[in-house]
Amino acid sequence: MNYTWNWHIFLEPNPTGAGTYFDMLLAGLKVTIVTSLSAWVIALIFGTIVGILRSLPSKLATWIGFIYVEFFRNMPLLVQLFLWFFVLPELLPRTAGLWLKQMPNAPFYTAAVGIGLFMSARVAVQLAAGIGSLPRGQKMAATALGLTTLQVYRYVLLPMAFRIILPPLTSEFLNTVKNSAVAITIGLIELTGAARAMQEFSFQVFEAFSAATLMYLVINIIVVIGMRLLERAVAIPGYITGK
Amino acid sequence: MIEISHVNKWYSPTFQVLKDCTTSVAKGEVVVVCGPSGSGKSTLIKCVNALEPFQDGTITIDGLKVNDPKTNLPKLRSRVGMVFQHFELFPHLTIIENLRLAQQKVLGRGQEEATAKGMKLLERVGLKEQAQKFPAQLSGGQQQRVAIARALAMDPIAMLFDEPTSALDPEMISEVLDVMVDLAREGMTMMVVTHEMGFAKKVAHRVIFMDRGEIVEDAKKEEFFGQPRSDRAQQFLSKILSH
Repeated sequence: MNYTWNWHIFLEPNPTGAGTYFDMLLAGLKVTIVTSLSAWVIALIFGTIVGILRSLPSKLATWIGFIYVEFFRNMPLLVQLFLWFFVLPELLPRTAGLWLKQMPNAPFYTAAVGIGLFMSARVAVQLAAGIGSLPRGQKMAATALGLTTLQVYRYVLLPMAFRIILPPLTSEFLNTVKNSAVAITIGLIELTGAARAMQEFSFQVFEAFSAATLMYLVINIIVVIGMRLLERAVAIPGYITGK
Repeated sequence: MIEISHVNKWYSPTFQVLKDCTTSVAKGEVVVVCGPSGSGKSTLIKCVNALEPFQDGTITIDGLKVNDPKTNLPKLRSRVGMVFQHFELFPHLTIIENLRLAQQKVLGRGQEEATAKGMKLLERVGLKEQAQKFPAQLSGGQQQRVAIARALAMDPIAMLFDEPTSALDPEMISEVLDVMVDLAREGMTMMVVTHEMGFAKKVAHRVIFMDRGEIVEDAKKEEFFGQPRSDRAQQFLSKILSH
């Protein structure tokens, strides 16, 4: 293999005229972080709502939750992003579709919402399982005290269910960060996109992707440490999963 | 106070758990419900505050119909205290927070008032020092006393007990029964599902014996322990009183 390593490449100016190649990667890293965080917030909000629906005694609520989850988790993420980005604008009325296509930062919004909804199905399943793992008497005791269903969830069931599912939620958070790389296919210049651009301009493919790999690793280690700290902060004294 | 009239409940079209149950609990009366496992006694007491639905018949509490869609169930339940077999304290809240939650969220009491009320009741059940601990740090007997205090904090007009000592070690049973005996002597209206015949003999006014979803015997305490009319109740008594 004829390959000339050049680790100084990061300090050389990139052809876009905005700083060095390293600056280019950092810009990609920033997009990855913002996209992942936005997607994770969307995943948590929708996942919580759908997870609650799936745990309610109402047949209709369970059914809506079931359809939602199976829709979003049974299609490849790549296909979902293509659907949102390329197909949805064509299906909408002309003006709405046009507005969507001409929206600035369209790849970013599409990626955040698309990945967020995809991940929300997984959060929903885990939350429903967490709620289901609580003793049936907890809901009864809270109801017997006169709390409404909403209050029962807010003050009794969800605080425990979320504590129980924190370890699997950490994995889902990591998956959200990793899945953000798929957004390159709809033109979002996130970290993977930036690394690829660097490779195309400089032909230093190994250096570019080594740096990107390290950056993904660092983000995810920070996520893992953060979630650990959170687990410790909300641990209940004397309780089995507590310390 | 509590009127149960011709209540029928089916779990499925072929499985009837309650058959034409009719009885009542007058103000200040203590009624003990006993019977073999699966006789429907827990189900019946859960129907009283609508934790379990029933298909036929009526139950009224203080003149309010439980199975009327127009009845404000959370409000009705907040006036009837309930104690469960497995205590059902909320594990993520401290003892005093357990006592405060429904006072604040259901009755709208302020934090100070709710704390004062809670501490007074904790003192009464002998657990004032445990106020800042979490449920998992207490013994079963202590947890059940907290559960009774939590129900009393709502100033209930009646108390329902669903096998309150069945999950306890033998040496912890008496500390819970002591609290219940005191309550009974103060004139609290109580409906108690239990196998503790000593408790029944001491404070009950009436004893109800259930078998296979039916109220087989509903008699004054003296009559029940003197000479039960039904063979089934006699058999039951001879078995549990023989040791």
